[in-house]
Amino acid sequence: MGTNSASTGINNKPVSSGAVSVGGNGDEPNVNSNGGNPQSSPQYTIPGILHFIQHEWSRFEIERSQWDVDRAELQARIAMLLGERKCQESLKLDLIRRIKMLEYALKQERAKYHRLKFGTDPPYINDVKPPIDESGFPINDEMATESDIPFNAVTNTTWRQSRQILRQYLAEVGYTDSIIDIRSNRVKGLLGMNNADIEDNININLNGNERSILKTEEGHRTPSKKISQQINDAIIMDSEAAVMANFEFLGSNEISDDDDISDEFDLGSGDDAESDLKTTKRNKTKEIISEDGITNADAIRRNVITNEDEMVDSSGLGLGELAQLTVNNESELNYDGNNAKDTIYRKTWNAKYTLRSHFDGVRALAFHPEEPVLITGSEDNTLKLWNLQKTVPAKKSTSLDVEPLYTFRAHNGPVLCLSMSTSGEICYSGGLDGEIHCWKLPNSNIDPYDSYDSGVLRQTLQGHTDAVWGLCIYNNQIKGDYLASCSADSTVKLWSPNNLSETSKISSLLNSYSSEAGGIPSSVDFVRNELDRIVVAYNSKSTHCVIYDTETAKEIVKLEATHEMSGNTGKFINKAISHPTLPITITAHEDRHIRFWDNTTGSLIHSMVAHLEPVTSLAIDSHGLYLLSGSHDCSIRLWNLESKTCVQEITAHRKKFDESIFDVAFHPSKPYIASAGADGLSKVFV
Amino acid sequence: MKMADGTTIIRRNKSGTKAKDFSRWPDEPLEEMDSTLAVQQYIQQLIKNDPSKVEHILTMPLGQEEGVWKYEHLRQFCMELNGLAVRLQKTCFPSTCTQMTATEQWIFLCAAHKTPKECAAIDYTRHTLDGAASLLNSNKYFPSRVSIKESSVAKLGSVCRRVYRIFSHAYFHHRRVFDEFETDTYLCNRFTYFVTKYELMSKENLIVPMNIEENAIPGESEA
Repeated sequence: MGTNSASTGINNKPVSSGAVSVGGNGDEPNVNSNGGNPQSSPQYTIPGILHFIQHEWSRFEIERSQWDVDRAELQARIAMLLGERKCQESLKLDLIRRIKMLEYALKQERAKYHRLKFGTDPPYINDVKPPIDESGFPINDEMATESDIPFNAVTNTTWRQSRQILRQYLAEVGYTDSIIDIRSNRVKGLLGMNNADIEDNININLNGNERSILKTEEGHRTPSKKISQQINDAIIMDSEAAVMANFEFLGSNEISDDDDISDEFDLGSGDDAESDLKTTKRNKTKEIISEDGITNADAIRRNVITNEDEMVDSSGLGLGELAQLTVNNESELNYDGNNAKDTIYRKTWNAKYTLRSHFDGVRALAFHPEEPVLITGSEDNTLKLWNLQKTVPAKKSTSLDVEPLYTFRAHNGPVLCLSMSTSGEICYSGGLDGEIHCWKLPNSNIDPYDSYDSGVLRQTLQGHTDAVWGLCIYNNQIKGDYLASCSADSTVKLWSPNNLSETSKISSLLNSYSSEAGGIPSSVDFVRNELDRIVVAYNSKSTHCVIYDTETAKEIVKLEATHEMSGNTGKFINKAISHPTLPITITAHEDRHIRFWDNTTGSLIHSMVAHLEPVTSLAIDSHGLYLLSGSHDCSIRLWNLESKTCVQEITAHRKKFDESIFDVAFHPSKPYIASAGADGLSKVFV
Repeated sequence: MKMADGTTIIRRNKSGTKAKDFSRWPDEPLEEMDSTLAVQQYIQQLIKNDPSKVEHILTMPLGQEEGVWKYEHLRQFCMELNGLAVRLQKTCFPSTCTQMTATEQWIFLCAAHKTPKECAAIDYTRHTLDGAASLLNSNKYFPSRVSIKESSVAKLGSVCRRVYRIFSHAYFHHRRVFDEFETDTYLCNRFTYFVTKYELMSKENLIVPMNIEENAIPGESEA
């Protein structure tokens, strides 16, 4: 019955429509609905109806599935577009970072130029007003191609301006426009559809390291290419001219980073070739930093990932920031270019205090944990205590001279290393004479010419038979200070200099560690996130670091890059320090590198050329955000640990023989950094 | 840094250097030293090679500015005197040597204070060395180590007179310490030669008998 009524219901439709076409015959449907009259609808057979129904159903089914397919397609498209947008945003972030880096490079350049021209350090006022960008790197070039259009409009005028200035500059240096033209042609090609060819070109031109970067970046390029094709032609045409301008400009920059060109550069600038070389070298250094092979490719990938993650939170970070960036740039206030995150910490360090009193090179320095007080140890066999609040006005109003408050005499040879206890009451010094002295710090307001108190020398830790080159300290809440020392006698010793009772002089030596290979340690530090461990740098047959368990004296991890280190003595480790919170060891090398190691796996995380000459010293701020390095190239450099980029470079000391800077330090709680040099001076920067 | 002729000698004391190898590198000729500290480097190189060759150490190279030469030598003396002070700290106590004396003739007053006072010998020693360090490193009087004003050179004499008293006190009151130190460094010998040669102290003040003195300084008048 059910089927019947249904069939009649369906039957109704064609009939009624038929009725309309026929017109007037109102009875027929009624008769039909009664279902009885075979004569009036002979064409509607049951099989026919069923067939019709089946047909209709399948049609609907097909339509529905088509809609589903369409929907899925659209959804995929949406997802793709979203992804592309994300990609664009991350690229933009990356670009911002790069621009800031370039700004920094430019400012360095300008400072150098100023110095060359006027012979003085620039006061960092905008004496010349070229806006941004001097030294573009190839990478940048590439990056710009990808996502230039969005922010182009904002910075267009600035770009043009800077391009003009750069042209002038290059003309002065001896560049013809022809080079720039060649570059611009190249870039035009790059912009065109035959991207692949150009890429190959570039690949050939650039060295191997960059290739890996290109590869990693190709990933992003593809989607953005699509986008640029999808954007309608008008827009492209519109912005092309401007883009060209940019690229021409960037292109010409790329050239100035090429090897032979930078040589020409030096010759061209004539008299002060060396410092110029330094400048270009510095650019190169940065380039290398950002190109350092496999690890770096990884780093970039990681960067992109993190950027994408950040995007989720900061999708509101629009072009406004770029605009702001340009404004900042014009006002020339911020000196260090960094991640946008670090805007709060932006700071330029300036030399404020000069500590003169040592007769010979200052080998080591240590800050008081709280007070603006520091101790220096020198090759003139003495240590001196300085209070930065007790200054003597110097002739140059920019810096203040500090007179030492106290001179510690006990070493019979150069003082090589220092360490200050976390309480700030005791200071330890190690010397070429193999002795470690424990000093009780006099009051920081003591009269420099007070009478001698032999109690200042608390005790002497005897045990090393040769020069003590490294000291580090860790404060155990219960047991007091633990002191680790490394010596040229091939041992590393752990001491517990008991500060409370002076009777326990004999028992202060806890343990002694030596490498199985019998190498001589050059540096020691406590592993800051696992304080029962120490990391020691060895330079025997192979250079490596070893992490020891202080209790068992067993080697736990060996930090060594097997293939990279093969038989090269130039990798000598001058200093090894532990990150304050992360399981990372940072080493300073004779081959100008700073290297980062994973304490758990012992593998190399990152390696970068950091200076023009051996890196001698490292210090890390108590938050683990910034790294300070000193080198025999007379400069100290401040690094952002996250991005591994140089934030500031300061030329601080002069050379004696082939040595210049021996030590650098961060004040644990106050904004001071300090450097100690072979010229017998120490400098404190604020 | 000189990068010429393939065989570059790098003069550095890398971390981990053994005491016996410290600063043990081939000599660098003075004319090749391009550092502002060339004179100090040169003097230290001579002393390192053989501290007993007092005359050789104090032979001024041709073309050297005399003021700088004297200044750098005096810096070196004061620096090395730290070694004597370290030894004296172990034997010379305020209780035993309450005053700075050499012979019974004079009591030296410590000039480090606003009003000179009778410091104990060890304090006198320390204060004098600290004061000398302060003066010789003063940005006011000695802003450069390449050229020195004539008025500043005049300051060197008084520094010499004061630090010499450390030698004389050690000699007359802590003879064993003095002898040990002198055997290692020839410092008093060199100092005596220095102040005589450059007439920084009058001869009657040089009370520590130096047997080398008579024959070693024949050219005193010529100097």
